[in-house]
Amino acid sequence: MEIPHIQHLYRRAGFGMLPEMLKKLSAKSRKDVVEDLLEHSKNTTPLEVDISELKAVYDSAVSGDVPTKEARQEFQKISRQKQIDLNVAWIHRLIAPKELLREKMTLFWANHFVCEDNNIVYIQNFNNTLRKHALGNFGTFVKAVSKEAAMIKYLNTKQNRKQRPNENFARELMELFTLGVGNYSEKDVKECARAFTGYSHDFPGRFVFRKRQHDDGEKSFLGQTGHFSGDDVIDIILKQKQCAKFVCEKVYAYFVNDVIDENHIDELAEVFYKDYNIENLMRHIFMSDWFYNKSNIGTKIKSPIEFLVGITILVPIEFNSPKQLLYLQKLLGQMLLRPPNVAGWKGGKNWIDSNTIVLRLRLPSLLLNGGYISKTPIGEQDPFIEKKKEAFKKAFKKVNVKSNWAYFRSHFKMVEIHELEQYVLACKLNPVAKEYLRGLKKVSKQEYCIQLMSLPEYQMC
Amino acid sequence: MASSLFFVPSFVRAFEKVASSKLGYKRLVIVQLSGGNDGLNTVVPFRNDLYYKERPTLGLAPKDIVKLTDEVGLHPSLTPLKRLYDSGYLSIINNVGYPNPNRSHFRSMDIWQTASNSNEYLQSGWVGRFLDEYATHPHWAIEIDESLSLAMKGNRLNAIATQDSKALYNLSNDPFFDRVHNSAHLSEHNLGYLYKSMIAAESSAKYIYETSKTVSSKKEYPQNSFAKQLKTTAQFINSYLDTRVYYTSLSGFDTHVNQLNTQKRLLGIYANSIEAFVEDLKANNTFKDTLILTFSEFGRRVKQNASVGTDHGTANNVFVIAENLNKPGLYNDIAGLDDLDNNGDLKFEIDFRAIYATVLGKWLQVNDEKVLNRSFKSLNFI
Repeated sequence: MEIPHIQHLYRRAGFGMLPEMLKKLSAKSRKDVVEDLLEHSKNTTPLEVDISELKAVYDSAVSGDVPTKEARQEFQKISRQKQIDLNVAWIHRLIAPKELLREKMTLFWANHFVCEDNNIVYIQNFNNTLRKHALGNFGTFVKAVSKEAAMIKYLNTKQNRKQRPNENFARELMELFTLGVGNYSEKDVKECARAFTGYSHDFPGRFVFRKRQHDDGEKSFLGQTGHFSGDDVIDIILKQKQCAKFVCEKVYAYFVNDVIDENHIDELAEVFYKDYNIENLMRHIFMSDWFYNKSNIGTKIKSPIEFLVGITILVPIEFNSPKQLLYLQKLLGQMLLRPPNVAGWKGGKNWIDSNTIVLRLRLPSLLLNGGYISKTPIGEQDPFIEKKKEAFKKAFKKVNVKSNWAYFRSHFKMVEIHELEQYVLACKLNPVAKEYLRGLKKVSKQEYCIQLMSLPEYQMC
Repeated sequence: MASSLFFVPSFVRAFEKVASSKLGYKRLVIVQLSGGNDGLNTVVPFRNDLYYKERPTLGLAPKDIVKLTDEVGLHPSLTPLKRLYDSGYLSIINNVGYPNPNRSHFRSMDIWQTASNSNEYLQSGWVGRFLDEYATHPHWAIEIDESLSLAMKGNRLNAIATQDSKALYNLSNDPFFDRVHNSAHLSEHNLGYLYKSMIAAESSAKYIYETSKTVSSKKEYPQNSFAKQLKTTAQFINSYLDTRVYYTSLSGFDTHVNQLNTQKRLLGIYANSIEAFVEDLKANNTFKDTLILTFSEFGRRVKQNASVGTDHGTANNVFVIAENLNKPGLYNDIAGLDDLDNNGDLKFEIDFRAIYATVLGKWLQVNDEKVLNRSFKSLNFI
């Protein structure tokens, strides 16, 4: 398989790749490379932070299943801190995953089945449900999501009762998770809501079905009639081809191109509709010739998380405090576990505004080089380079991290400086930048790497 | 450097010219009190027995209250506001809220910032949509913070967040960035968008810094971060930046416990900082073109809780501060406290979006319906 294609695959299915791995894979066929990728994600390693303190809190709760006010407050306090821990743990998992594709899919699904909750137990369970089903059967996935405590809370399914239905979950299920707006009627929303009445959870977060609150009556939904339960409704939704199409559009926009090619979508929908198996869908995409079209390579704007994690693939970074990592996510506009609203992050150009573009261009030099981008023209000396770096470091001291340049140097030892561009950038350098860089003194591979990472081109994947 | 910038579209180059013309355009300064400020202890019906009945230990004693009328007064920390009131610069709009109020911080703040209905989830803020419709550049709205609130994000354009224009300038301007771009790239789909954004951001940061540094304030402000936000805002306004909307915030108002001390402190910070701000603008002849709108995402419950605090409630008051108000003083009557909703919370009388519509239509002189996506009858405080 050609190296540029392997790079493209691993930038989309992962966050990038180092030279030796690329070389190793280039000896294999596309089929083998893709199967390897899928094979390595067969298992699921749950992501967990230590919540033993919390177990103690709810074990100490007095009256049966309902905790005391004091217990709840203590729980909330601990929960808040644990959310930070989970966010940081997730980033570290993305940096060093066991199951690369599964982790990238989990990231994708977290922006599809959008959910947020203050309760760390519920949100951790939810996150792992996303991970567990990330490459599995979509129908099973949706059913599992509908029964998660975090989702039941987030979309008010708990308040959805026989006498007083709450339509929030029913609407978002169809509008955001399966069919897309305009593919169902208001009546369908109402009937769908009826099917999900009685869904609830207990304090530890286990799904509870409150039979007395369930509306068992006959429902008319998407042209079918019956005494439908929540699971039944999901089955009916999946029978609509539109569901396969809708999901494929989302997957395509994230993994291939934010400009939808209708022919490719139709092709994918056919494949997906057969068995709603996500792994098969991803295999089909990664095996397709069109996936490797020039128009799809290096044309996606990295999300903040893809950007941050991508940097660490080349130069590992140790953040001195978790708060810093959260702070960067906040400034870049994407904080894991904290989606802006139920529709999730819009992505693409929406990541970019006057503040974020400046931060993205500056961040590599800030994190890795004390804020300094080398500009010494060829033939000149810059005796002050260290002084300049010190001045920048002082000005930007808020971002205080430890970067592992030794790692970079060892992994790029066999790469010539003029070849570095191919490994760092996903798209071609624009000619003006190329000319300018050519006129600069190649102080070192490290400084050159910083220059490349400070270009808008580096924001593409 | 000039040659490489030659092919950059003129609209981008245009705003690098320092706006020295003192256009009479109006400016809006939004002050967000985050956490849900207790309106009932802010604007107090000190003659109402029900007030003291529901707040036996939280109610403010009449002798401490800064009286506005025979029936209504302000929290003691708001003495500076009384001075504004006496000058005719303050309009207090009571019982502001919206139908089916939400008592969650996140939801209610989103509702106020996006100007949505209680059951709607909009992804853009009202100021962001103002930018989408009318702004020629993102810096038409500036938030004095390190990142943007949803209010300041449009569907197409986002405002600029900065607490320090020099820092933003230093961050965004590096000769390296100037040398690498190429006009031919500006048309490419996503990469071109990045280059365009980079150029526009550098240009904005340079414009804001170079324009605002021509002004240095002699006015002394209180030493706190909210006052600093207002000081920076004053500097921007007084330097005649063509920014139309500024966003600032003061947080900590979620007074479930220890309300008396917390509100005393925070309202003091608010009032003293606002007074300094107004004086600064007056000294520079810019107060006449500035309107300050203060709100909180909800008020609090009438009945105090067991911790001498209050829990999340509903309707609240909104302060409008400007030089030439149409109806200074109490815009409408304070609630009688005998007509509460099923929850025991205040009922709203004025929809907050009518206030936005008034500010958009009459002050910023744009089509409020385009920004708010529906029509609200304007009020006449201006």
